[in-house]
Amino acid sequence: MAEQAQRRAPVSQAPENPPEDQQALEELRHLIVAPEQEGLQELRDRLDSVERRAEDVSTVVAEAIQMRREQGDDRALAEALAPTIQETLRESVRRDPHVLADALFPVMGPAIRKSISEALRSMLESFNEALEHSLSWRGIQWRIEAYRTGKSFAEIVLMHSLLYRVEQVFLIHRETGLVLNHVVAPAVATQDPDMVAGMLSAIQQFVRDSFNSGRNEALGSLNFEELEVWIEESPDAVIAAVIRGHAPADYRLAMKEALENIQQHYSSALANFQGDTGPFRGAGDRLNHLLEARYKEKQESRRKPRAVIAVAVAVLAILGGWIAYSTYLLIEWSRFLHALHEQPGIVVLGYTKEGGRFHLQALRDPLAADPAKLLAEAKIDRERAVLELTPFYSVDDSIVLRRATERLHPPAGVKLFEKDGELRAEGIAPPAWIAEFRERAPWIAGVNAVDTSHLQNADLVELNRLKGEIEATVLLFPLGRAELETGQEGALAQALINIQAVFVEAQRLNGTVSLDVIGHSDSTGAEAANLPLSRQRADVILGNLHRAGLKSAALQARGAGTAEPLRPEDSEEGRRYNRSVTFKVAFSPASPVN
Amino acid sequence: MVQKKVCMLGASAVGKTSLVRRFVDRMFFSEIYKTTVGVSVDKKQIQVNGKDVTLVLWDIHGDDVYEKVRVSTFRGMSGYLLVADGTRRQTLEEALALSNRVTESMGKIPAVLVLNKCDLAEQWEIEASRETALATSGWSILHTSAKTGEAVEQAFMNLAQAMLAI
Repeated sequence: MAEQAQRRAPVSQAPENPPEDQQALEELRHLIVAPEQEGLQELRDRLDSVERRAEDVSTVVAEAIQMRREQGDDRALAEALAPTIQETLRESVRRDPHVLADALFPVMGPAIRKSISEALRSMLESFNEALEHSLSWRGIQWRIEAYRTGKSFAEIVLMHSLLYRVEQVFLIHRETGLVLNHVVAPAVATQDPDMVAGMLSAIQQFVRDSFNSGRNEALGSLNFEELEVWIEESPDAVIAAVIRGHAPADYRLAMKEALENIQQHYSSALANFQGDTGPFRGAGDRLNHLLEARYKEKQESRRKPRAVIAVAVAVLAILGGWIAYSTYLLIEWSRFLHALHEQPGIVVLGYTKEGGRFHLQALRDPLAADPAKLLAEAKIDRERAVLELTPFYSVDDSIVLRRATERLHPPAGVKLFEKDGELRAEGIAPPAWIAEFRERAPWIAGVNAVDTSHLQNADLVELNRLKGEIEATVLLFPLGRAELETGQEGALAQALINIQAVFVEAQRLNGTVSLDVIGHSDSTGAEAANLPLSRQRADVILGNLHRAGLKSAALQARGAGTAEPLRPEDSEEGRRYNRSVTFKVAFSPASPVN
Repeated sequence: MVQKKVCMLGASAVGKTSLVRRFVDRMFFSEIYKTTVGVSVDKKQIQVNGKDVTLVLWDIHGDDVYEKVRVSTFRGMSGYLLVADGTRRQTLEEALALSNRVTESMGKIPAVLVLNKCDLAEQWEIEASRETALATSGWSILHTSAKTGEAVEQAFMNLAQAMLAI
């Protein structure tokens, strides 16, 4: 109307009219446009007045916001209002914090409690699951399975204990295949949702094209081992849920409901989608509701304690057995060590235990006992012990004796003794062995001295026996006289036989014998008479020897008088023995052997 | 965050996948998807005039066997890179024919014509007059080399700007 008035204005101004016409025209104009002009003025006044404009807006502002939200474009509104609201809140808190605190008080407590209880519940569930699966027999089996299959323990636990779990939910724009929103269950590893959604859309289209399906027909699900992808489509959106396990059929109803809700709520944003996903952030709550999980019912709780007890008993039995066996091994090993310590020729330096095996370090004389045999006697598995033996020469008496015996090969009748490094031979041995013994024995390790005083030359045994018998012979004479006492004839005869025999034996050994015939007298009477008397007595016996055919220069008679008494003369019997003749035999071998 | 579906269109062996490989940070799906499903999807986030834009790249198999599939995969795209091999004149004609099919089914949408393999200048078969004619008819044309990376980023940037301009 204003335009009309403006368009008409130039027409009216074109020619010059008389004043009466001008007045008439003015009246006419007033009649025609006055109401519009008043209306215009009214509008102008209304727009110019801040109070009136505010009053007008206040009547529609609530409806306008409602309308904007229904159009699905409430994000711009939120963005526009956010700074003002934030500033308002900040100012309100600055002025009086109690106002906001009072307002929030009724909701803060429950919100905090809910948050804490949710976190605790989640933590306890996780802890229970982990504890149960870690300590149970089933948990051990699953660990073995995880090790065998190369999957993580968590995957195996999920596979066995999970009925189903919705791990991811995609909200996809149907036309473009772009992700509008995407939610993921906790601790689920995901690929890039944009690309996964793109490929899902491509696969949808591929299937649709491949089987000439209509636009409204869609791929309902994809299966891959324990993973399933369930897909629901609305005119503008697609919900794809990635499910581990087998979800019940009514889960699809939940998907449908969520999708219908989203389609209805975001219909405008979906229809006008130009790649901006901001408006669909609010759909996250609806999608989060679809992140469900159901676990298998726990099997017969009564059986579990029994199984746990059985496992515990088995574990304890194994543990006890292991401890007992270890203790037994240790005891046996100690016995073995003790036996080793007792063994001459073995010096235990120490032992260690590595990888379940004993490592023994010791010095061992080659003539000492074999530790492997001792090990067997101790009933210790040879595989459980490593014997690190270093050879050495022991100076232990028994080992030195064994070494000497092994080197010298003493003949039968000779016995060797060893003590503190002195080697002693006792018995009768051939002269050659005796010579060898004297020469070699000092060179044997551990022998410091050699004793042959108890060793007899086998060749001189008879000679020595005869010598002993001859030298033990005492021929008695009466007091003051040089004739044999009555009854001494037998002793004289035996002496003659022995003396003849000793000369024969000496000849056999290519040696020479000298025989001293010694006359004795007791101390009664004058010494000047006793000495000649003793000589006379020796001469009498020598005469008997001559008469018996023994006329060697090796026979010599001498009188000892009272100088070499046989017995103390404190009795008649003593004096009687001193009135006698005795013999002294000396043998000179061809070569000196004894 | 703004997302845009972008299709790589062109005859077989013109270098579509190589251009994508050169452009994106890493290839998400292997080429096996292209030969089985007919498409491989990758993405790259870029900044255009200070605005974050995610390009979701649909690398479509260039074989005619997938012609039917390809038409459905165009659906919902905001723009496309029309790729031809500059050393094979025939691929340009095939690309333009493909572009006509897109226009028929979806109307006019932003596109950039990419004449790839510009590193092989001595084998170049497309005459300058032909390019001039195409440019006159409204095509935004770029010489690219997936091998050297020349103008690859620029091609995608040009397309992104064109998509955001509407």
